[in-house]
Amino acid sequence: MTESATELDTPDLDSCVRIGSIVSSNSHLDYVVEIFKERDCDRPPELHEREFGQPVFIKKVIDGTEHAVMGVIYDTKLVDPDQGRTGPRLAQDDQAQFTPGYIEERTTLAGVALLGTAVVTDDRTIADPTHRMPRWTLEVDDTVYHCPDEVTVSFHTVDGQIQLAYLDRLIDIAGDLGAEVIVALIDRLRRMLPEDDPNQRVLDVVEQNIEWQAHERRGVV
Amino acid sequence: MSGKQSVVGTVAGPGEDPNEFVFVTPADKSIKTGEFITYTVSVDGENRSVFARVTNRELIRGLPDGFLADPEVGPDTVAATLGVPTDDTELYRLTATVIGYYDTDMTTFANPRQLPSPGTPLSIAPDQQLETVLPNLGCETDSADVTELDGTAHLGWLLNRPSEATNIHIPIKEFASTHLAILASTGSGKSYTASVLIEEMMRPGSRASLLVFDPHGEYDSLADIQGHDAFQGEDGYDPDVVYYDPERLRVRISELDIGDVMAVLDNPSNRMQERLSTAWRAMQRRESRTWGVDELINEMEARYGDDDASVGALEWRLRRSIERNDLFHPEDNVPLDEIVDPGQCTVLQMDTLDRWNQQLITTVLLRRMYRERLDAVRDRDSEIGHPIFALFEEGHRFAPASGDAPSLDIMRTITSEGRKFGFGLGIISQRPSKIDQDVLSQCGTQISMQIKNPNDQDAIKNSVEAAGEDVLRELPGLTPGQAVVSGDAMNTPALIQVRRRRTEHGAESPDVIEAWREAYDQRQREPAQSESADFGEGDSTGVQSLD
Repeated sequence: MTESATELDTPDLDSCVRIGSIVSSNSHLDYVVEIFKERDCDRPPELHEREFGQPVFIKKVIDGTEHAVMGVIYDTKLVDPDQGRTGPRLAQDDQAQFTPGYIEERTTLAGVALLGTAVVTDDRTIADPTHRMPRWTLEVDDTVYHCPDEVTVSFHTVDGQIQLAYLDRLIDIAGDLGAEVIVALIDRLRRMLPEDDPNQRVLDVVEQNIEWQAHERRGVV
Repeated sequence: MSGKQSVVGTVAGPGEDPNEFVFVTPADKSIKTGEFITYTVSVDGENRSVFARVTNRELIRGLPDGFLADPEVGPDTVAATLGVPTDDTELYRLTATVIGYYDTDMTTFANPRQLPSPGTPLSIAPDQQLETVLPNLGCETDSADVTELDGTAHLGWLLNRPSEATNIHIPIKEFASTHLAILASTGSGKSYTASVLIEEMMRPGSRASLLVFDPHGEYDSLADIQGHDAFQGEDGYDPDVVYYDPERLRVRISELDIGDVMAVLDNPSNRMQERLSTAWRAMQRRESRTWGVDELINEMEARYGDDDASVGALEWRLRRSIERNDLFHPEDNVPLDEIVDPGQCTVLQMDTLDRWNQQLITTVLLRRMYRERLDAVRDRDSEIGHPIFALFEEGHRFAPASGDAPSLDIMRTITSEGRKFGFGLGIISQRPSKIDQDVLSQCGTQISMQIKNPNDQDAIKNSVEAAGEDVLRELPGLTPGQAVVSGDAMNTPALIQVRRRRTEHGAESPDVIEAWREAYDQRQREPAQSESADFGEGDSTGVQSLD
């Protein structure tokens, strides 16, 4: 167990909010998650719990050991099969329950990029985080959980130092919004770390570099 | 000196210049600019070790500058955060210029006209090989024990190598015959380097006949050579160091040239010049070499009459300029056999003479010695039957670029002709731009030390043939005791650290702070004086010392 994780009031991994389930993937590291709505679960995620840059995890038992596969929401997409249809409608707006199709099919999809893995411990937190590429494939219908900030910090802490070693892979997957995902992650980490933590300055340098590169790529500078 | 050479880099391809190639090394193989490396190439069916000098070094792979944004956060920390490996990531791209392989027949470097092909492994040139091939020692192998050679001067060791790893022994006969220039700004160790050379030349292996023209009295400490263990020969050789103080420096009047006399005289008229030169020539035709102003004036009066106005004016001028100057004497002369002798270093201390007298005595001595050497080579009677080497501290004083010195002519003659007559000059100066370009360009071997003044750098560039761009580039960055040796004594220029002298050095600048403090204490010890009464007849003179 890492230092920063023990200092914080570590939440239980089992009581985390469910965000959605996996519906498809674009690559080994890039999954599409359908966000849960009112009818899909007891407590659908609130908007801020599934926001852009939100870390998430998926529980997987590998060879008898429970692992958490860590990921981050790097993109979202709205799906409305009704969009573009301009023909007459049978149902009225106040009679949704009689509507056979489209309204229920409106969904929000989120792109989740995998960052790494960690072992789930007996006290329902994580240990041994690694930022190497996860080797295991997730399944359709796997539940994606909201990752509490405390767990996010402990996932990013290796030997007492903040690490974002997945950064280059994440930029590749997230594409145009890569810089923004990383900045969002860094913001989250910075909020959780004490003001005088030496890692704060390291994060500043990393953020500066990422933003500068993005600005360069986009032709701002 | 190890036989096994470890590979330090790999050739990447040709460089910009025809003799340049580029190679890549990892960070742990730290190769400095100026380092000598070798590779093997087949020339005429024979494998040759080709030497090359590293001229530039740049980083081609390393952490981006953005990682350096916060001085308090090390780039390694940022790299660790991003999971970037930091061990041995740096790759360097180095440029090297081919010097050539050592041609044992020509005993110098020969350019193979062939760059190494990409992928050729490169190694650091072994110390012993460099010791043999860098100086112009004429060895017939490319790896000899140079310490066993006679007539070499151990000047120091290669700067890029550990202390005393690659010792540079330069052949004394080369610089003693084709002249030497030691160019360095004040305080960078030029007289130290000169002393090292003098020491080497006085060792039993060389037993040189040396003459040092010392306008500042900086070479006092050379006396320690006498009786010093390092200078004793097995056959009982012990070098002599003779000091000639200004009182013993004399110029016999008959040795002066008419030109010298004209230059000493105060603005002589045309008529005076004509009378003087006629009489001077007549005097020089005489058998006797010991005549003075009196005899000269008698001669003039005999020719032009007692009451000739010009002769009268000349008499006054001659008496003022020549007779009242202790330097000139009708009979006394510096005896050449006293000042030049094999195994003897004579230091002519001229510190109390004014510049003009320094130049004049130098002129006359050089002229006399040159004449003797000429006679010796032409099998005539000569006082100096062996080659000699004269070192000039403050060389710009004796061969000024302004042309304003009587010694310039003879200096020019010796530097251009002296080689044939066994007369070598060594010019030491901190202002190369103020040395006559003809003289400087004839100095075949150069030891250049730190020089920052751009004019002086230009002077070296313009007059020193062997000074390549890479030599000149090093000059501003050298620190005291570091030097670039180039020219006839070397097969290729090398950057060296001048070795320590065997005897103590004496030319350090006096400690002003110490002097001030002592002077102040001295003042404090003097009895206090009361201010003299002021009678209102002017300003108070304040406290006055009574001595």
